[in-house]
Amino acid sequence: MIDLSVYIGGKKLKNPVLVSSGTFGFAKEYANFYDLKLLGGIAVKGITLKPRKGNKPPRIMETPAGILNSVGLENPGLDGFLEKELPFLRKYDVPIIANISGNTIEEYSLMAEKLNEHVDFIELNVSCPNVKEGGITFGTKPESIYEVTKEVRKATNIPLIVKLSPNVTDISEMAMAAEKAGADCISLINTLMGMAIDIDNRKPFFHNIVAGLSGPAIKPIALRMVWQVAQKVNIPIIGMGGISNWRDAIEFIMAGADAISIGTANFYNPLAPVEILKGIEEYMIKNNINSPKEIKINGGVVYHE
Amino acid sequence: MKREFCKILSNYEVADAVYKMVIESKSISKEALPGQFLHIKPSQNYDPLLRRPISICDLEQDKGRITLLYRVCGKGTSLFSGIKPGDYLDIMGPLGKGFPIFENKRTSIIGGGIGVAPLLYLSKRLKKADIYLGFKDEVYMIEEFMSCSDDIYIYTENGSRGSKGYPMEALEKNISFYDVVYACGPRKMLSAIKRLCEKNQVECYLSMEERMGCGIGACLVCACQSSNIEEYKKVCSDGPVFNSKEVSLDD
Repeated sequence: MIDLSVYIGGKKLKNPVLVSSGTFGFAKEYANFYDLKLLGGIAVKGITLKPRKGNKPPRIMETPAGILNSVGLENPGLDGFLEKELPFLRKYDVPIIANISGNTIEEYSLMAEKLNEHVDFIELNVSCPNVKEGGITFGTKPESIYEVTKEVRKATNIPLIVKLSPNVTDISEMAMAAEKAGADCISLINTLMGMAIDIDNRKPFFHNIVAGLSGPAIKPIALRMVWQVAQKVNIPIIGMGGISNWRDAIEFIMAGADAISIGTANFYNPLAPVEILKGIEEYMIKNNINSPKEIKINGGVVYHE
Repeated sequence: MKREFCKILSNYEVADAVYKMVIESKSISKEALPGQFLHIKPSQNYDPLLRRPISICDLEQDKGRITLLYRVCGKGTSLFSGIKPGDYLDIMGPLGKGFPIFENKRTSIIGGGIGVAPLLYLSKRLKKADIYLGFKDEVYMIEEFMSCSDDIYIYTENGSRGSKGYPMEALEKNISFYDVVYACGPRKMLSAIKRLCEKNQVECYLSMEERMGCGIGACLVCACQSSNIEEYKKVCSDGPVFNSKEVSLDD
């Protein structure tokens, strides 16, 4: 009898397939395509204390097998989220992950405190490349990740996920700092910093000059980073970065992820998460695997002979 | 709104780099309104990755047929141009908000270039709107528009067909005859139409274009400046058709 459930921070997810913050809005749009309770969890659009207008367009450019985005955390703010968006999400029996970004450690803590009883998980976004303040400024030094995680840990008693940026020299150091500060889970990776130039007008394509790269193009990098982090931490890992089909998902689990998250694939295939879940289930049945954990252990990869 | 694989009935060039494609879908043709769009995957591979938003140009509900008109301008549309009758495309739709239909008001429709695409089905639904169309040099779909209205003004930049110049010139002269103007075309043209209509207190609906991601309002990439300076509108789900007073086109 196969059991798809996985545990993160002591909380049970009915399956290991989540959807990534920033690619799923506040889920309303996707509820037209399938029953949201099929998902293991939903990471909602990144929220900030105050509403944010977001970056001036253009905000997207397609690249080979990927996209560059420069949305800049457009969101209705914490109160807007609680009042206008959360009631809809709460109609479904599905864990909600609130992804939060702050300008200061105090802002992160305040948001975590206010969200504490309303959501199931908090995901600290210390890795957004598209806003000047906050975001990534906390995410590229182990000391600042340790500081912000430790303070937020005090402000909330629900499981805390730290979402890491790949735009660092050694991502496992960041993961270890988060674990040491009391994080329950690491999610990775956020987008890779990229750029595009409009050669006809001789200027950067995006107003912010740099933008975040995602999609199948980044999958090998994300997979390598999940594997690196899995070598160094003992808390669960949510793997993401270009996962487009169930085979990709199995790769991430074999590399050390406990759960996986679908991002950019939602843009071109709204049914991607449910198709991937079905693929994982069929793979498990075919290979006589009873739980996602066994994919890692018994069916996992032998890295050294 | 659905996602389905639709059969392509025909797909051919009607002017330089402008193609007309007819697809079959009972469910889309039953639901679709003038001004809505379809979000189409150019290939089942990862490159190009995203869907392309293409306006619904015309539809025949009884036959379950939808006509699309598109200009080849990149990787995605170039792949569309190679699609053969009998092939299938992965299509989501109908998406977005269409044009509101005012049958008892004095209406006019103005389109520039490939911007004429979403206006044909609108012309049919409005029955007696005056129509202003502008093209660079080559004209297309004008017979179809002519069958919708007796009052049609055709302009080309070089005068090769119809009058020489821009359809705005005629609309400016006649603006006082209208209660509502519907428009689609280059941003500069839309901006001028917005100003003209607002100055003359004529209700105005603009069909906007922006690079899109999901097409359903989740990813927030197709932002368009709202007339409220504090926020952006989503072209895919708040639009693509906006009342001109909802948006700001001053860059």
